[in-house]
Amino acid sequence: MKIVRACKTCHKLTESDVCPNCSLPTSKRWRGYVIIRNPENSQVAKAMNITKPGKYALKVM
Amino acid sequence: MEGSNSEEIVQENTKIFTIKTQVGKEQNTADLINSRAGKSKIKIPSILVTPELRGYIFLESYDKERIRDMIKTVSYARNMLEGDIPIDQIQHFLIPASAVAKITEGDVVEMIAGPFRGETAKVTHIDDTKEEITVELFESVVPIPITVRGEQVRVIKRKDEEKNKSEEEKRD
Ligand SMILES: [Zn+2]
Repeated sequence: MKIVRACKTCHKLTESDVCPNCSLPTSKRWRGYVIIRNPENSQVAKAMNITKPGKYALKVM
Repeated sequence: MEGSNSEEIVQENTKIFTIKTQVGKEQNTADLINSRAGKSKIKIPSILVTPELRGYIFLESYDKERIRDMIKTVSYARNMLEGDIPIDQIQHFLIPASAVAKITEGDVVEMIAGPFRGETAKVTHIDDTKEEITVELFESVVPIPITVRGEQVRVIKRKDEEKNKSEEEKRD
């Protein structure tokens, strides 16, 4: 099974060492799980500064 | 209030509902609801699993009854708590992602902290390493560039907003 990692910067979940969103390094230590389906209408997305749909971590260590 | 009015409600503010799940299956439940939302017409802008709260997840939607009906058929979802909760109550879980990475030059932002709080400005420069951005306030007579920290602003209009929209449509 592949390890899911989270971008240290934008929190996006990915299997890659580098974030597909912002090309910055990812970490395998993260907690919480957020699925953003529609960032424009989401209060959660706004509070987290997320502008693209996808799966994200709440906290990245 | 009769149930005869089946008009779709659009552009209303979302409500945050709490779903009780089987303990340890919070993330699976979120994924199942996500794929269900993709197949149905129920609008669910976000689903949230917090590590602190076992046996519960949150979701953002509009119509409580539709959500209640939907989760009846979702494995691991038990039921829904009465009433919705204000965003303030879960705000402490929502740590903003690095603000600067999400902002690009040309974006329109609102100042959410500091002396210019409430004013809108245009982003003219970004310093990723210092997590700082330079903006020009719209309302100032002379456009003086001011430098603030990324978390002091909130993007209200993206420079590439149109482009993002068409990409989203393609994906559907
Ligand atoms: Zn990223």
